[in-house]
Amino acid sequence: MRLGLVIDLDVCVGCHACAIACKEWNASGTTAPLTDYQPYGAEPSGVWFNRIRSYEVGEYPNNKTINFPMSCMHCEDADCVTVCPTGASYKRAEDGIVLVDQNKCMGCNYCSWACPYGARELDRESGTMKKCTLCVDRIYDLKIPIEERQPACVLTCPAHARMFGDLDDPGSAVSSVVRERGGYQLMPELGYNPTNHYLPVRKAKPIPTENLGKPGFKDKIKGIANRIVKR
Amino acid sequence: MHPAFSVIFFTVSSGAGFGLFALLYLMDLFGLDGGLPVEQKLVAGILALVLVAAGLTSSMFHLANPKNAWRAFSRFRTSWLSREGVFAMAFYPFAIIYLGLTWLVLPELEVLRLTAGALATLLAWITLFSTGMIYGCLKTIRQWNSPLVPANYLALGHFSGALLLLAVARNGQVALTGYVTLVLALLVVAASLKAIYYFWIASPGTGSTIKTATGFTRGTVRLLDTGHTHGTFLTQEFGFQVARKFSLTLKTCVFLAGFVIPALILTVGGSAAIAIYAAVLTALLGMVAERWLFFAEARHVINLYHGAQHC
Amino acid sequence: MNAIVKIENHDKQEIKFTTCYMCACRCGIKVTLEEDKVRFIQGNRNHPTNQGVLCAKGSAGIMKQYSAAKLRKPLLRKPGSERGDGEFVEIEWDEALEMLTERLGNIRATDPSKLAFFTGRDQMQALTGLWAQQFGTPNWAAHGGFCSVNMAAAGLYSIGFSFWEFGAPDWDYAKYFIMWGVAEDHSSNPIKIGLEKLKRHGGKFVSVNPVRTGYSAIADEWIPIKPGMDGLLALSVVHVLLSRELFDWEFLIRYTNCAWLVVDTPGQQGNGLFLRDEAGNPLVWDLEKKTFVNGLDKDIAPALFGDFVAPDGRPVRTVMSLTAERYLDDRYAPANVAEECGVPAETIERMALEMAQVAFKETVELDIEWTDSWGRKHDKVIGRPVAMYAMRGIAAHSNGFHACRAVHLIQMLLGALDGPGNFRARAPYPKPVPPHQLPENNLDVINAPNTPLSRTPLGFPMRPEDLVIDADGNPLRIDKAYSWEIPIASHGLMHMVITNATNHDPYAIDTLMLFMSNMAWNSTMNTKNVQDMLREKDPEEPGQHKIPFLVVVDAFHSEMVNFADLVLPDTTYLERHDTISLLDRPISEPDAAADAIRYPLIKLDRDVRPWQEVLVEMASRLKFPAFTNADGTRKFKDYPDFIVNYERSPGVGFLAGWRGKNGEKSLKGEPNPKQWEKYIENESFFAHHWPDSQKYNRFANKEYLDVAAEVGFIGKSEPIIMQVYSEPLQKFRLAGQGLYDGPQPNNQTDRERLAKYFDPLPLWYKPLEQARVDENEYPFFALTQRPMLMYHSWDSQNVWLRQILAQNYMYMNRGQAARMGLQDDDWIWVESHNGKIRCQMRTMEGTQENTVWTWNAIGKQGGAWGLKPNASEATKGFLLNHLISELLPAKQGERRITNSDPVTGQAAWFDLRVKISKAAPGEEGSWPEFPALKPLPWDDGKRPDTLRYSTRSDDKPSK
Ligand SMILES: Nc1nc2c(c(=O)[nH]1)N[C@H]1C(S)=C(S)[C@@H](COP(=O)(O)OP(=O)(O)OC[C@H]3O[C@@H](n4cnc5c(=O)[nH]c(N)nc54)[C@H](O)[C@@H]3O)O[C@H]1N2
Ligand SMILES: Nc1nc2c(c(=O)[nH]1)N[C@H]1C(S)=C(S)[C@@H](COP(=O)(O)OP(=O)(O)OC[C@H]3O[C@@H](n4cnc5c(=O)[nH]c(N)nc54)[C@H](O)[C@@H]3O)O[C@H]1N2
Ligand code: SF4
Ligand code: SF4
Ligand code: SF4
Ligand code: SF4
Ligand code: SF4
Ligand SMILES: [Mo]
Repeated sequence: MRLGLVIDLDVCVGCHACAIACKEWNASGTTAPLTDYQPYGAEPSGVWFNRIRSYEVGEYPNNKTINFPMSCMHCEDADCVTVCPTGASYKRAEDGIVLVDQNKCMGCNYCSWACPYGARELDRESGTMKKCTLCVDRIYDLKIPIEERQPACVLTCPAHARMFGDLDDPGSAVSSVVRERGGYQLMPELGYNPTNHYLPVRKAKPIPTENLGKPGFKDKIKGIANRIVKR
Repeated sequence: MHPAFSVIFFTVSSGAGFGLFALLYLMDLFGLDGGLPVEQKLVAGILALVLVAAGLTSSMFHLANPKNAWRAFSRFRTSWLSREGVFAMAFYPFAIIYLGLTWLVLPELEVLRLTAGALATLLAWITLFSTGMIYGCLKTIRQWNSPLVPANYLALGHFSGALLLLAVARNGQVALTGYVTLVLALLVVAASLKAIYYFWIASPGTGSTIKTATGFTRGTVRLLDTGHTHGTFLTQEFGFQVARKFSLTLKTCVFLAGFVIPALILTVGGSAAIAIYAAVLTALLGMVAERWLFFAEARHVINLYHGAQHC
Repeated sequence: MNAIVKIENHDKQEIKFTTCYMCACRCGIKVTLEEDKVRFIQGNRNHPTNQGVLCAKGSAGIMKQYSAAKLRKPLLRKPGSERGDGEFVEIEWDEALEMLTERLGNIRATDPSKLAFFTGRDQMQALTGLWAQQFGTPNWAAHGGFCSVNMAAAGLYSIGFSFWEFGAPDWDYAKYFIMWGVAEDHSSNPIKIGLEKLKRHGGKFVSVNPVRTGYSAIADEWIPIKPGMDGLLALSVVHVLLSRELFDWEFLIRYTNCAWLVVDTPGQQGNGLFLRDEAGNPLVWDLEKKTFVNGLDKDIAPALFGDFVAPDGRPVRTVMSLTAERYLDDRYAPANVAEECGVPAETIERMALEMAQVAFKETVELDIEWTDSWGRKHDKVIGRPVAMYAMRGIAAHSNGFHACRAVHLIQMLLGALDGPGNFRARAPYPKPVPPHQLPENNLDVINAPNTPLSRTPLGFPMRPEDLVIDADGNPLRIDKAYSWEIPIASHGLMHMVITNATNHDPYAIDTLMLFMSNMAWNSTMNTKNVQDMLREKDPEEPGQHKIPFLVVVDAFHSEMVNFADLVLPDTTYLERHDTISLLDRPISEPDAAADAIRYPLIKLDRDVRPWQEVLVEMASRLKFPAFTNADGTRKFKDYPDFIVNYERSPGVGFLAGWRGKNGEKSLKGEPNPKQWEKYIENESFFAHHWPDSQKYNRFANKEYLDVAAEVGFIGKSEPIIMQVYSEPLQKFRLAGQGLYDGPQPNNQTDRERLAKYFDPLPLWYKPLEQARVDENEYPFFALTQRPMLMYHSWDSQNVWLRQILAQNYMYMNRGQAARMGLQDDDWIWVESHNGKIRCQMRTMEGTQENTVWTWNAIGKQGGAWGLKPNASEATKGFLLNHLISELLPAKQGERRITNSDPVTGQAAWFDLRVKISKAAPGEEGSWPEFPALKPLPWDDGKRPDTLRYSTRSDDKPSK
């Protein structure tokens, strides 16, 4: 099994709902809490597992704005795991989820250096590295209604731009949407083989505008033959 | 990358320590200029151990959760950081046996002494290499992801070690020509390697760009918003940037303080104590500058997501 | 491995359903509580509004609940301290309520109009409106006047429902969707859900917006229009459609007044009014009978085009002939508007043709039988799947009313309203055009002490007689709504209240009561000066303020609270009973009528009271008839009791669900004592799903209209004829022209405004302020946008949300900036005719070249909202509001006129023009600067350096 997310860049409006839902769930999740620094002060910041960036492609007026959520990609070849000296970072054999054992981590930051996708953040208060858990504490929780056994970010996304599933199973919804829409991985050249995929912007098909009559109604209007419409 | 003092000190100091020990052993083995008196060997050896120890302890300061530091040896099989720790630890017993026997001077145990020394030296080299590989293995940082990095660590470690050895030898009433030549030889090697390295990172990398990072291949890609007003762990840890000007000046310092001045002093100033100490000191300053730049110039690919066009 | 993965502590947890309050979208939420602490807030999958999803604000509700800015106790301005100094003493509720009862009692017994009660973007206008009516003051309104009344008024005077909350696009069937000037809207989650659906189905999404962020980011086509030009663009589209005869004959003849006949006698009384029979029915020309017939009858064949001579000899023309004549004029040809709109002629032409293609060649046919109002059965519902939505990009301009009418005109021409794939009505809409509800304007009733108004203060004037003015034509309302200056101000003009009350124009008031609106900061124009007005003393009455007594009802430490004489602290949304009523702004969806409740989920930890409770309490103490028994005792124990038992008309109350003795009835029925319990059992919402036969064409759908009449949505079951040509507007115009036999303005300015802006057909004119400032001196349009993750001023107190957006920048087109030598993070001066601000700028591609914009309401006054005085919201964030004047630039021989739409009084936020210059080196930080608010009595001002919120007990920091 290879669990991960598929993110649809064609419909992501950059609303940050997923980022907040993630923060909210994980504030009391398995690696809870997620410390906030200077929460009321000049420069508030904190530990987040999912951040939304926005980019602009092309130049005015042919520019396109693309919102770009990023969380852990749960890579197949996750150097963040291999470089970890303590074994705190590990990738689960059964489902490919990459986690950090808070009881083992010594807070050396080394794994975060090895992560190309900025998915790992040190919690200075606990002194440990934290990251997206793929909501491992939701998706397997039998006490949660089956249709809600999904990552918090996926459940909440108002634009349904986030999908969760098994990318090993060619029959899964995520696998087929990746096939159909040409889903891609980020920075494949680094060879991490990320599990998360991104769906590119759709190309709208042109709407025919021929055979919609010719201009010139203005002249017709004088002696126009009214149509009989009964009411 | 953010140049953390603890890490700079750690690499410079332990690098010098391992270099010093390895050279000490070789000198001892081949009895350069008739070899060093026992006291000098001990001084050099202990100095090496202290430098290594100091380095390792300072690296602890960079841990956010040191109480788990002991676990760092557990991932020997995959992690260069772990390996470095393990080898560094393994180095000590052999190094101590070697120095102990050197101190006791027991001819019947000479073989043991030399084997222990040999093993310790081997471990010193491996550890130095590992330190280099901690950085060298990161695909995320082009400026590090190269064999030049461990090569640099080895060369600079031995160069600074050689200088220290010379300084120690200076008090040994022994002929210094050999030691000086050794220093100069290593200096040339280290300097050329560093030069090659600087040329190499200056060349535009063919690696990741903002386009491969985002997958937007058509048209220019510009960052509109990082998604958070103020700094995050990512900007604090990876956002560091040096002005090109400053890094150029610093590079000249690296070469002047690190190599040119020491070379001049040693060739001109001869073997006067203060000359040698001066050489050691400026060289070490040069090393620190070199190490600071090593981090400061490293551009992690995460910066692509924060607007950098390439890294 | 799972071993080390901690799983929820379900035994300690409890799940409850209620309604989100973080914005006016009012989504259903599922709240997980762990030992009276909030563990998790998620969307309710069964809720019609959000169907399980939740936005950032909603999910961040936790951090609102635990905000450091929460008020804790009633506050009285410290005796001897100056208003606005923010020095308060805590008082008990009894004292506060007695003080207020006495004061309001006196006002009510003498001159009820001296109480002005204005409420913000609240979700309880049905109650506050009833309260004001019972008190007897006409001076009540909610925020609609500065929000989006242009959309409501334009819709309700044209099609019977409207953008804003009274309709929604049909995402299931739409194939072409145009969004005019929307960044977020109230329908926040539904739009996001819908856009994804539309795109998944292969529909095309076009966004008309000077800025490309948010929704516009995912648009298939972005049209960077110049601000204020939408009306012109829309009318040019109309031009293209007409010029190719691309309009829906059936729809126009059956469902609109296009065939009605207009008297064409320029310069004479009665010109431009409909030709009517004795009974007042509009007449049309019957092509078969060859005679004039009642245009409302069935079995008629009205002529859509034509000039005729009325029996009385007057020349008459059909509305359609007038329409065609006006918009076929070359003035509206794409080539002739392209420059002004900043949109290429080809694009305008293509837009129009694409709409027509989808509407007429890609129709949707559903096998649904329905019956029209004339009894004719149809076996199909035909949809012309073009949907539109528009909001403040159009509304917040002084030409927004007509611009919005122009958009509705396109919809009517395409026959694309309330059908499959169209913009569709949300119950209780559609209503008659306009709704049959007139504002109270009987002087005797208004002045009568201790007497309720005979009807609510707000309504929809049909003619000059309906204005709320005295015999001399002076306004009777403090905001001058329904006066000659602003005749159709259907939501009042909240943005004028403080200015008018301070100037004692039209008269002085005694008490201003503000609920849930930060009028001292982001919801007011001209913020800095308005703060001074609030401080202003009355020279006539030494020691007294121009606005003598200011009551602020808030839940948090806002900038407004700082100016209060009396602060009544409210509860949070998780702590109180509340209703989202069909009598109010509905949460219905096109396919279901719906309402919802809130009820307390967590225990109160402070001495605060729900405003709902306080209103009922005050109403009882002041003995409002509706709240008092014949014997003088109070009628309702408390708010929940009021909700259950109050009936506006027999069987119709605040909540439509589970009515009837045993909760067996929906929409209408006797009170049900167990109604609250029923709602709570049913996840806190009620939805009545319309049967297929009642889902479409409801303006003329007999089955639907019968039900609507039965349950009181509308007066009686009769077709709702859409008004392309608006006779009420024409009546006001005649008054301006001196041709109306009835009240007419005696002031020249008013006459000119009526004559010019009360055109019965949609028109475009240059926004008023822009017509008065020099475009060369002030070359840029300046706008704000809603950030999707922040709600106006009150999300900066949210420690999670503010990490995302703690400082706003002024955004400018990158090429434009380069030409001006400006770059990212430069500090700039931005200057308007009203003042200047200093702020930091950013460049981007996605901004129209003549436009600059920033995020709304991010700038804060230091010390407010529980933040430290050095919060970047206060030191670097800024408000655009300082630049926006509530009055138009002065003009020779004219009294100062409100900076609003001349028809509706909608605040013209986006008419602003500015000039921009780089700040001098060293000039940094936002300007103007404001003194930091003082901490409130219970607050030592200290704030922790880290926050580690969690419901997990076993999470101690490891060091
Ligand atoms: N997240 C969030 N949601 C909210 C709110 C909030 O504060 N935050 N506020 C709520 C309230 S009170 C309201 S009234 C609604 C308002 O909802 P919106 O109408 O979406 O509010 P604005 O952000 O003012 O959006 C105005 C949009 O019109 C564009 N615009 C400006 N001028 C023009 C123009 O002349 N023509 C065109 N075509 N576009 C133009 C702007 O670029 C902007 O995108 O949102 C509600 N929902
Ligand atoms: N420049 C510019 N200015 C604008 C706009 C714009 O687009 N541009 N938009 C305008 C529009 S459309 C609107 S609607 C206004 C909105 O502006 P406001 O009406 O001021 O809305 P908020 O900023 O949300 O402030 C509402 C107040 O209600 C308080 N509050 C929050 N929750 C509760 C509660 O449960 N009970 C009580 N009693 N009080 C509560 C908050 O603390 C806050 O003080 O802004 C207007 N101002
Ligand atoms: S919630 Fe969905 S739409 Fe919003 S930012 Fe996240 S992915 Fe994009
Ligand atoms: S995204 Fe980063 S943290 Fe996640 S698995 Fe890949 S490398 Fe590791
Ligand atoms: S920070 Fe923790 S998880 Fe990351 S490498 Fe160091 S020990 Fe491993
Ligand atoms: S999967 Fe869970 S942890 Fe990962 S980003 Fe989504 S919400 Fe956060
Ligand atoms: S849109 Fe967001 S804030 Fe508004 S009600 Fe829905 S969830 Fe709450
Ligand atoms: Mo609003």
